Amino acid sequence: MTHRRQAVRGLAAALAALVALTAAGCSSKAKTGDGKQTGAGGVQTGEGVTDKTITLGALTDMTGVYATLGKSVTQAQQLYVKQVNAAGGICGRQLALTVRDHGYDPQKALAAYTELEPKVVGYTQFIGSPFVAAVKPQVDTKDKGLVLPQAWSASLLGSPYIRVLGATYDVETINAVDFLLKEKGLKSGDKLGHVYFEGDYGENALKGSKYAAEKAGVTVVEQKIKPTDNDMSAQVSALKQAGVKAVVISAGPRQAASLVGVAAATGLKVPVVGNNSAFAPQLLGTQAGPALEKMYWFASPSLPIGADTPTAKKLVADYQAAYPGDSLDNGIVAGWTAAGVFGEALKKACADKDLTREGVDKALLSLKAHDAGFGMTHDLGDPKAPSSRESVIIQPDKSVPGGMRTVRQPFVAEAAKSYTP
Amino acid sequence: MSETLARSGLRVRTPAVYGWAAAALVLVALPFYLDRFWLQAGLFAMAAALGALGINLLTGATGQLSMGHAFFLAVGAYGYCLFAGDGTDGLAGLGLPGWLAAVLAVALAGLAGGVFSPIAGRLRGAYLGIATLALIFIGQHVLFNAHDLTGGYNGRAVPPLSLFGLTFDDTELLVAQVPFGAVEKLWYLGLALLLGGFLFARGVLRGRPGRAMNAIRDHRIAAGVMGIPVARYRAAVFVLSSMYAGLAGVLLALVFQRTVPEYFGMALSLEYLAMIVIGGLGSVAGAVAGGVFVSLLPQLLTRYSDALPLVSAPGTGGIAPGEASRYLYGAAVVAVVLFLPGGLARLAVRKPKSPTTQSPTPTITEPSGETR
Repeated sequence: MTHRRQAVRGLAAALAALVALTAAGCSSKAKTGDGKQTGAGGVQTGEGVTDKTITLGALTDMTGVYATLGKSVTQAQQLYVKQVNAAGGICGRQLALTVRDHGYDPQKALAAYTELEPKVVGYTQFIGSPFVAAVKPQVDTKDKGLVLPQAWSASLLGSPYIRVLGATYDVETINAVDFLLKEKGLKSGDKLGHVYFEGDYGENALKGSKYAAEKAGVTVVEQKIKPTDNDMSAQVSALKQAGVKAVVISAGPRQAASLVGVAAATGLKVPVVGNNSAFAPQLLGTQAGPALEKMYWFASPSLPIGADTPTAKKLVADYQAAYPGDSLDNGIVAGWTAAGVFGEALKKACADKDLTREGVDKALLSLKAHDAGFGMTHDLGDPKAPSSRESVIIQPDKSVPGGMRTVRQPFVAEAAKSYTP
Repeated sequence: MSETLARSGLRVRTPAVYGWAAAALVLVALPFYLDRFWLQAGLFAMAAALGALGINLLTGATGQLSMGHAFFLAVGAYGYCLFAGDGTDGLAGLGLPGWLAAVLAVALAGLAGGVFSPIAGRLRGAYLGIATLALIFIGQHVLFNAHDLTGGYNGRAVPPLSLFGLTFDDTELLVAQVPFGAVEKLWYLGLALLLGGFLFARGVLRGRPGRAMNAIRDHRIAAGVMGIPVARYRAAVFVLSSMYAGLAGVLLALVFQRTVPEYFGMALSLEYLAMIVIGGLGSVAGAVAGGVFVSLLPQLLTRYSDALPLVSAPGTGGIAPGEASRYLYGAAVVAVVLFLPGGLARLAVRKPKSPTTQSPTPTITEPSGETR
């Protein structure tokens, strides 16, 4: 019994010693200064920046539902980093991109964010708007690192650190409806079908179509679907019954293909226009291909990958050289644009001699007319607004690289200018 | 503490006592040293272990297959948000104090289990599995569409818990020079909850109810003949298991700081089943071990993806870490079923301490297989 008592005493002593140790600052977590220091070239540095490297994070999805998008975005960003490094890096430092694949799993996404947080200056990519929303309070109050989500929902606007690049879904849909009104003969008194995913993306787009329809005197016929619904026959017959003159689809590529294919087969010959996520070039190889080329258009926040600009042509050539055999899609443009914006902010922060997170945030806010080389200029000065309200209208076309042909150059609909989310 | 242990005549356990004390000490000291990633991973593991304790009572000890565990986790998580939310974000909220909200959320999960218990009391095996599967689909539909309650696709923010004047959020609290944020504070809450949940489950399984539950699992008719009210026991254990799930849901919500509907799908239910199979059906310690194993594995693989052979860095082709962890689960489940039918818990009690505790059906005479 006595030796057990001794054991307890020993334990107590050990515990006391432990507390004393941490109190004396032996724990690496103990607070010492604010983590900022002045590094090479007289530049102030913070998390993720050393004298030799600037570390960026990418939280992507390569094994989950957005695997194709995640792969293109990530490879484009890896290519960007490689090219910047080959040209000497930024601020005399090499860029390093740490990629974490979360497979669209909330737990893994949060874990990956937390893991990278102390190691990176910011994130060039974060797929999955629910996860971005989950880390938002932490980003806003504590971490303050820049996050560029690969999602275009208006619900992500408003944070000075989480910045949406390009038109949000609602603005994009307003532009798409404008295209129908101006060029496809939709007029006041007509009915407009809208097939949309339940959830963030679809509901945000629906807000846009309703707003645009109200302005134009058009009524919207809603058809809500689930991401698992792949056969659009029921929706097509419902829309046919309602007598719609045009259809907007805010869903995935598969649903768009089914909708257009079934509509063409059953004689609902009306123009169909989708959001940027509602098309993948692979669709042109399917049975729905011919119908898509004839009666399908989609709106996009940037020119397509096959666009006729010097940046786009160079990107296509470099990407194909780096990843032969991988298909070209708009994920590459989105990834490249995001990495480019981040790079620009870093350069600016370097010029201001402040590569801390605060410095990068400030530098980004001063980018008022950033041209990513895909036809849009991005104004990142206002965290409450998307960086651009412009969209382009693209038609699927097998004969051009990437399978996408621009039919209407960057524009902002009248209704979209006055719209506030 | 030493005297009670001594009085109960557990002299053989002396090394074990030291072991437990050392383990407890390490667990208590961890927040002073580990960074946020590890603490968060540990908290996920604790929440998973709590949930696994619940489904272990139901599926492991009573033999009732449930695919609906994720639904009750969701009830706990969203219930907490509902009770604790103050309605400023435009979503339904009652604005109750955090601790009361947590208690009510667990009660709500139990109530949900109770509502389902007329079915749970009558069905068994695959039939119950399929019936509970419906809960998942209903749950997901409600979570995505009941916008005012759940926040829809993007989920809703979780209000921080406050207990005895301590708020479990990211406001910094300096303890011995170490800044304590949300995860550090929640770590102790998680430990306390897990310890309580563990002891309670062990108490249930070692006592009369545990014997009755095992009897129902092993021979339903014989159990009925012996005077065990089979349907009532089944319903009751379903409620208890739901409450464990609810508690796990509350803890998860507090760690996530946001409830995301995507999470509470069928894959989560299957993960919980994998936990108790890997840990050892019917064993309390096994459930904890299984929960920790299954929830830590993918996070570790993702973190060390750069260093592991065969597993490739994302974007370079080859097996992605996410896929690798799925293969490993599969392999672990198969290996456990083939070579270790008692699960991880059997590893710990491989060597019989005395011949009397060994019996052909150890789970009946010694309801908790994890005795050590």
